[in-house]
Amino acid sequence: MLELTETWYLVLASLVFTIGAVGLMVRRNPLVQFMCVELMLNAVNLSFVAFARSLDDVRGQAIVFFVLVVAAAEVVVGLGIIVAIMRRRQGADADDISLMRG
Amino acid sequence: MFGLPTQDEPIPFDELPLDDPLLFDEPAGVVIPDIEWSAIAPNLILMLGGILLLTVVSLVRGRTPSWFSAVWTISTAVFAGVTLVPLWQRVQDDGAESVMAGAIGLDGFSLFVTGVMCLSVVLGALLLEGYLRREGLAGPEWYVLLLLSASGGVTMASANDLIVMFIGLEILSVAVYVMAAMHSKRVSSQEAGLKYFVLGAFSSAFLLYGIAMVYGATGTTNLVGIQQFLSETVLTQNGLLLAGFAFMLVGFGFKVGAVPFHNWTPDVYQGAPSPVVAYMASGVKVAGFAGMIRVFVVTFGPTYGADWRPMVYALAMLSLVVGSFGAIVQTDVKRMLAYSSISHGGFILVAVAANSEAGTAAALFYLLVYTFMIAGSFGIVTIMGRTGDGLHALSDYRGLSKARPGLALLFTVFLLAQAGVPFTGGFLAKFYVINSSVSQGQYVLALIAMSAAVVAAFLYLRIVVAMYFDGNTYRGESATLAGPKVRIPAAAGVALGIAVVGTLWLGILPGQMTSVAGDAVAQLVAIGP
Amino acid sequence: MTVDPTLLLAADGPVTFPILPALILTPLLGALAIFFVPARRDDAFKQIALLTSVVTGVLSIYLLTAFETGEAGFQFVVDQSWISEFGISFHLGVDGISLFLVVLTGVMFPIAIMGAKITHDIKSYYGWLLVLMAGSMGVFLALDLVVFFLFFEVVLVPMYFLIGLWGHGDRIYAATKFFLYTMLGGAFMLVAIVALAILNQRGVGGDLTFDLVQIAQNQAISTEAGRWIFVGFAIAFAVKVPVFPLHTWLPDAHTEAPTAGSVVLAAVMLKLGTYGFVRFGLYLLPEAAHWAAPVMLTLGVIGIIYGAICATMQKDLKRLVAYSSIAHLGFVILGVFSITTQGIEGGILIMVNHGIATGALFLLVGWIYERRHTRQISELSGLQKVAPVFAGVFTLVMLASIGVPGLNGFPGEFLALLGAFQTARWWAVVAVIGVILAALYLLWAYQRTFHGPVTPGNEHFRELRWSEGLVIAPLLALIVFLGVYPAVMLDRMGPSVDALVEHVDEQVDDFERVEITYVGASDIPEPGHDDDSDGPASDEHGEEGE
Repeated sequence: MLELTETWYLVLASLVFTIGAVGLMVRRNPLVQFMCVELMLNAVNLSFVAFARSLDDVRGQAIVFFVLVVAAAEVVVGLGIIVAIMRRRQGADADDISLMRG
Repeated sequence: MFGLPTQDEPIPFDELPLDDPLLFDEPAGVVIPDIEWSAIAPNLILMLGGILLLTVVSLVRGRTPSWFSAVWTISTAVFAGVTLVPLWQRVQDDGAESVMAGAIGLDGFSLFVTGVMCLSVVLGALLLEGYLRREGLAGPEWYVLLLLSASGGVTMASANDLIVMFIGLEILSVAVYVMAAMHSKRVSSQEAGLKYFVLGAFSSAFLLYGIAMVYGATGTTNLVGIQQFLSETVLTQNGLLLAGFAFMLVGFGFKVGAVPFHNWTPDVYQGAPSPVVAYMASGVKVAGFAGMIRVFVVTFGPTYGADWRPMVYALAMLSLVVGSFGAIVQTDVKRMLAYSSISHGGFILVAVAANSEAGTAAALFYLLVYTFMIAGSFGIVTIMGRTGDGLHALSDYRGLSKARPGLALLFTVFLLAQAGVPFTGGFLAKFYVINSSVSQGQYVLALIAMSAAVVAAFLYLRIVVAMYFDGNTYRGESATLAGPKVRIPAAAGVALGIAVVGTLWLGILPGQMTSVAGDAVAQLVAIGP
Repeated sequence: MTVDPTLLLAADGPVTFPILPALILTPLLGALAIFFVPARRDDAFKQIALLTSVVTGVLSIYLLTAFETGEAGFQFVVDQSWISEFGISFHLGVDGISLFLVVLTGVMFPIAIMGAKITHDIKSYYGWLLVLMAGSMGVFLALDLVVFFLFFEVVLVPMYFLIGLWGHGDRIYAATKFFLYTMLGGAFMLVAIVALAILNQRGVGGDLTFDLVQIAQNQAISTEAGRWIFVGFAIAFAVKVPVFPLHTWLPDAHTEAPTAGSVVLAAVMLKLGTYGFVRFGLYLLPEAAHWAAPVMLTLGVIGIIYGAICATMQKDLKRLVAYSSIAHLGFVILGVFSITTQGIEGGILIMVNHGIATGALFLLVGWIYERRHTRQISELSGLQKVAPVFAGVFTLVMLASIGVPGLNGFPGEFLALLGAFQTARWWAVVAVIGVILAALYLLWAYQRTFHGPVTPGNEHFRELRWSEGLVIAPLLALIVFLGVYPAVMLDRMGPSVDALVEHVDEQVDDFERVEITYVGASDIPEPGHDDDSDGPASDEHGEEGE
């Protein structure tokens, strides 16, 4: 039986973070991009917890609460912006939203 | 495999000026640390000013006059700025200290940046006032967000803990995401907000992951604690720490618009409401650089400078080159200024890459000058956008020197200052940076920076040409200004006046400010040498 | 301060008020006054500009009379700290080298303001001209590296607007090219200045300083660093002079600039670069200047020949004069980098005399353009028959530009060649060809313009007006006076130039003289022209015969 050390959690966190980052860059739907951001933030949370455990330091776990709150605040604002855009046009897609070059 | 420190005991925190209750094993209940509220007075004033404004306008029956929120905001920012004076005196007399249980650094650096943030709030609010009336967007929310985001920026600049810095960054960013998207009549504003939001959240996640790695490698998020740990401990495997550097640099790189993380800048600057861009380009960037310097130069500089300097070096070089060359092909003044701000960011990165006290002082001075120059430039853009905030093509500026000679002259001053023409603040800022870079032996980077400034000057000259000369007509009769009449709201006029006086003052009599920047850097929360 | 006492001998001369700041501030105050006068008062602007520039000119002439002849050091020194953090101060002073360039600036600006008419945007035109005057004065007076750089760069802005707003033809292209070229040179110079100050501080310890005199006296930096820094300076100055491969902005800028702009550009601004080579090349970095001399001499000679050939081929009279400037400044480079007393004195003489003669030429070309609205040589035939006085004036100025003995062009070129013969014989031999070419292109242009049948359109060419005659008369007087009596200048610059050459010798003696062989001055046959009573041919270079 393989023992699950903190390192495994860290590897998992890095994988999840990568999935989130790549997803955000590849997918064009803002909602999916949002989810990817959430994925990234939660991957970070996971690594904070893993580090806290390996360091035997409770502060790493406390940090997670801060991150959760921040993530929630970000989602509120992000969804607000998306709703504002959706009201003006059908469907929110990052490729449709291209009045500006770049 | 990740080079975790595997000591049995946590880091010797008792040597730090911390009295964090979470560190102690005995279940002492909740121990409230001593909080010295006066030490964070400027930050509190900004934040409470924002919240109170929101409360007041919600409680007052009917709509408050549009000037009320602006006056409130400006007085709040000025008040916050005034409280800096006794704190500055205290820091200069007693030295830097960390307050709020070690989470906040009260030092010359944070006070200087706070002052610059207050300045950019004042300029932003002055520009907003006329803008909101012109666009029919009256609403105190803009000002509330402005104050809150400034409070976040101040938190970020004075944070002595990575998590506090992250929270400051988020307070700053979230407010600005909203402001960027708040012009409800322009789709491009909302697009800009969305774009800024997605990339901002992306970069925040990177920064946070970097923080996690640094935490994993050093066992603390307190900056002084990290510094102490790194100076006492030699990590046998520092891969985790270096990965942390890289991730944090990506995060900060996005915030300050450093190449290759700059892609959002032109789009967002183009789409967002012009006064908000004035604030974004000055305030947000100032806070971003303050955080970057605090983390990299102050905390990691003494021990791991050799590891991150090449990365910053590369960022600086790329920003300078892409910023100045990218601007050449643009035809939209806001995009041009966006690229020029990327190139300015490159200049500040040159100062950061110096990894020295002189470099930090240079960055501070540059940020101050930059706030005047860029807020002034975007102030002109705000006025010139006219109703609808849409007339930003280079051709919309044609003939400005005839229609509004004063405005054209002011814009010329701001542009020449950005180009680094002598007797403007822009020159001394560049001189300061070059000085710090050369004294670290970075001759090549200094040369690249100055050459990039010349390429950027071409861009500024293009705008000047559009305003003053017209290639199509011969002698004298330059084209008349197309579009509606240009109106300069009184408040915006005041903002432009402040900006131009600041730009010239720092160019002609800089002695005072350079020594203030020097003093600011001399008092930094850090472990002794 | 550890300053050589000889350099500060005349620190407080007979002048009791700070005359050097006054030279910079007077035109600046004029510009401010113009800024605050309402735009509709068109007539006031020219009067203000004229008044302040004439006052400055009179001050500069007063400076000339108050100047202590026979002193080598800086006089009328003012030293006011500016940014103490960096050791930057407004350190101003004149010596025999800068004195005449200051006077030239003081004299040429009022003439340019009087001599050229402008039809639109009168207010900003005179404002920019006065700013330009203040900046040019500052360059020649500054003894602090950063202050020098500030003035050196700030003159770009007024010149940019002068060319861009009141120029001809492709003026925006010309103005932008001018601005960017010079600014790129400045970029290199700024890095060089900062590196020099920092290395100097490391060499001698103490506080950071940008003081020219201190750094030049310390000579605390390593040979290699000094050479790199010289390259940085040289690029900036070479653009400004302009030296051969970096010259392409000049014909455009000169041709498209309005008349006053061309006059000032030729008379004053081109001298910023050559003056820089003397002051910040030879004086500041003597070893590196000596090291670079072969390259600079070669570029100078190429400039002479190239400028002359290009001038020969021009169809546009103004462009022809512009290219002739490249050739003349090649002689300055040749003289200065011969690193001999005669050569440097000759270089300074050419700087001043080229300013007078070419300034006058540009004025005349400007007046031709005002009358005929063309500068094409082919369309200007036969002017002599219609306007004999105009033609006569043109002839005199042109002969001065060619370097005919008895007029002011001659002594400088002669001394420069004499100096070059001592250390760089073959370069001098090639340069002599340039003298002949100068005669060729100018005389040929004269012949095509003023002789021959009157082309249609030229029948009613207006003769020289009285007002124009009054403007150009001082220049004509100077052309003749300085031609027959250059000693008035040589006496004053002699000690400073001697001290400079000694300074270079002190630094260079330890090194081999690469590819340059000094020949004793006594080996040179006694020059038989009229200006040698003052004896510039001092004998201190008799050390190494062939």
